[in-house]
Amino acid sequence: MFLNTEGTKPIYVQIAEWIETEILNGNFKKDDKVNSQYQLAEMFNINPATAGKGLMILMDENVIYKKRGLGMFVSIDAKKNIINKRKEQTLKRLVQELVLEAKYLDVDEKELLEMIRQANLEGKGEEK
Amino acid sequence: MTVVHFQDVSKKFGRTKALNNATFSIEENKITGLIGRNGAGKTTILNIISGFIQATSEEVKVFSEKPFNSLLVSANSILVDDKMSMPSLNLKGILIEAGRFYEKWDASLAQRLFEYFSFDENQSHDTLSKGKKSTFNMIIGLASRCPLTVFDEPTTGMDEAVRNDFYRALLKDYLAHPRTILLSSHHLNEMEDLLEEVLLIKDGETHLHMPIEDLKNYAIAFKGKAELVKESTKDQSILYQKTHGPDQMYIVSKNTYSEETLQRIKRSGMEISNVTPSEVCVYLTSSSKGGIDDVFS
Repeated sequence: MFLNTEGTKPIYVQIAEWIETEILNGNFKKDDKVNSQYQLAEMFNINPATAGKGLMILMDENVIYKKRGLGMFVSIDAKKNIINKRKEQTLKRLVQELVLEAKYLDVDEKELLEMIRQANLEGKGEEK
Repeated sequence: MTVVHFQDVSKKFGRTKALNNATFSIEENKITGLIGRNGAGKTTILNIISGFIQATSEEVKVFSEKPFNSLLVSANSILVDDKMSMPSLNLKGILIEAGRFYEKWDASLAQRLFEYFSFDENQSHDTLSKGKKSTFNMIIGLASRCPLTVFDEPTTGMDEAVRNDFYRALLKDYLAHPRTILLSSHHLNEMEDLLEEVLLIKDGETHLHMPIEDLKNYAIAFKGKAELVKESTKDQSILYQKTHGPDQMYIVSKNTYSEETLQRIKRSGMEISNVTPSEVCVYLTSSSKGGIDDVFS
């Protein structure tokens, strides 16, 4: 993964999201050890304090836990916690933006829902 | 542990005040970026830290000692800049001498970097091009592994590939051998990911000292209808403003907004964007709110 250094997202949030995505993908399973802040610093070419801040976020959200002297590990409920958080925050925000844009363009609710249904169908087509 | 401590430090050159009551502390094993406009006092600060010059009025402590005439500071620090005085030896000879001088010198790292950047052992230091000289000095700075490593404008003259190599090399060596590193540069954007803290100097004073991640949230920019933009920033301290066309405006203000307020402003039809640390530093150190345009209006 490459970091988006121009974007609006702080680097440490991007680090946290990268680990979350790895967990959702199944690359990190429960009780697996995740990369240390020094490994993350080396991988993403950033200051280790910034990488550490990304790990702290995940600790606070019970996505990972710390074993003293051994490192950080994936929590049992990691996947559930990530999905809940993304639904509550990311998805909700995207929907709000979608609704706002529709309002600008005078797209009514019925038309908007139809567009979502259409996109959903196309998405399913791709999966097959 | 505090490695560098400045308390109300001033320095005059003749009648010119280069530093005016500068006060700050630098903690052990952090990478700090020293940022400021031309003539702000960055080099003066680095020279005082390294004990090369003495402050006019001072409370300066480096490793808990006054750095001027201190053997402790001299042996544990290095200042890398384009005025480094080197013995009149060829490059190979300089590397050997540096190894005798610095206790933690890593000869193997120096040799590997020397070869990577294709230096000629027999060349003399003063015949190197500007960029090559900076690169060679950087090798000395990294391989010395000094507990306090100071770089003053280290990338002067380096091409882009070498600059990227330098920042990567600095990070890798820092991860393996943590130490206190001070970097001064005009190019905050290219080194910001490397830094833990930023120290901004303006007119010889400490203007701001904070973690780089906080600086990223320090300011926020609004663009849209002039009256709307003015309304949403009316109680804020404004860092920069510019009119666009007949009724559009762009204002950068300090970011003290809650997420809800920002969402509301967004819904009222304004564009909101982040302000990079580098832009924040430019706005904070500029003497007018309109920039160069003010000269022509």
